[in-house]
Amino acid sequence: MSTLLQILITSLQAYGYPVLWLIVFVASVGAPLPTSLVLLAAGAFAALGDFDIALLIVITVTASACGDSLGYCIGRRWGSKVLNWLERPGRRRLMSPANIARSRLSFNRHGAWAIFLSRFLFSALGGVINLIAGSELYPYRRFLPFDIAGQVLGAVIPLSLGYVFGVSWEAVGDILGAFSAFAFMFLLVIVLTVILVRSIQRSKQEMLIRNRVTDAATSASGPLPL
Amino acid sequence: MSLRVKLILIGILLLLALATTAIAANATYQAVQRFQQQKALAAAADVRTIHPWMTIPYIAHYYHVPEAYLYRSLHIYDTRPPRHATLHALAIRFNRPVDELVHQVQTAILNYRKQHPTKFRYPPRIAAQDTDPAHTSGRMWL
Repeated sequence: MSTLLQILITSLQAYGYPVLWLIVFVASVGAPLPTSLVLLAAGAFAALGDFDIALLIVITVTASACGDSLGYCIGRRWGSKVLNWLERPGRRRLMSPANIARSRLSFNRHGAWAIFLSRFLFSALGGVINLIAGSELYPYRRFLPFDIAGQVLGAVIPLSLGYVFGVSWEAVGDILGAFSAFAFMFLLVIVLTVILVRSIQRSKQEMLIRNRVTDAATSASGPLPL
Repeated sequence: MSLRVKLILIGILLLLALATTAIAANATYQAVQRFQQQKALAAAADVRTIHPWMTIPYIAHYYHVPEAYLYRSLHIYDTRPPRHATLHALAIRFNRPVDELVHQVQTAILNYRKQHPTKFRYPPRIAAQDTDPAHTSGRMWL
């Protein structure tokens, strides 16, 4: 167990709910804190009666919703300016304006899933997704419900697992971490496969068109007179 | 970028992603196996599962040893023992290495089990009342 995690758990036991709120809030803004492990430990302590499990869920959801909203506001305030600057035509940039416009469109279409899944399945990406959602000017009215829905799962899963498995919560944390990486990579494989299949189909179509053009040119010139 | 170069790049990325997925799947499988071992040890109340994040009441509950006995074995004689202090916090407070403290607790539990071969399976509260001098003196007064 890392020293940071030991310090966080010791603080949780010493100061209780306010410390948990602070840890979850800071992590939701984007700080790399092992929140899932702290929640597993809190669940384990709740099984003994040190904490109330329902109150833990409420505290976790409110803290993460506040932290996510702050991340979203930071993205909206400064991130959108960076994107606007990148979109301006002219100098050579890292990303072309066309690519940025396409990413904007894509986030508006699939952003809800990204927000929802990054709350509990790919929690390491949560902070970045908040910034992107703000930068892309994703409507806050749509951001918040998906955020809260994901955060409820993000709170209930580790707290209940910690509550049920008690002493073994560290091993449960290892499973959650490894499974999260596996799920992310599996999703990436699916996306890349879809892109590859589409690219092959496009390549085939282009080849077909090229062949037809060549055939048409050959037939137009006609057979050579004997 | 030509379509052929794009296809090759996507193919390489896909192969890398597949390899990483296989590694992640293996890591998940191993984590599940470790969890099963840990769970079996925890179910048997094996002292190897004692960790610095545990508090004395937590250890007392899960390993069926009276709290007072554990405090005594750690030489903590406070009238109001620090119930919410983890072993890590106790190590800092009493300026002792945390590993030494964990080892002391493990030894104390094993000694208690030797002294009470049948009792240690009882619920902790019953065991606490039987061995805790405070409870005993209370009963005498009654």
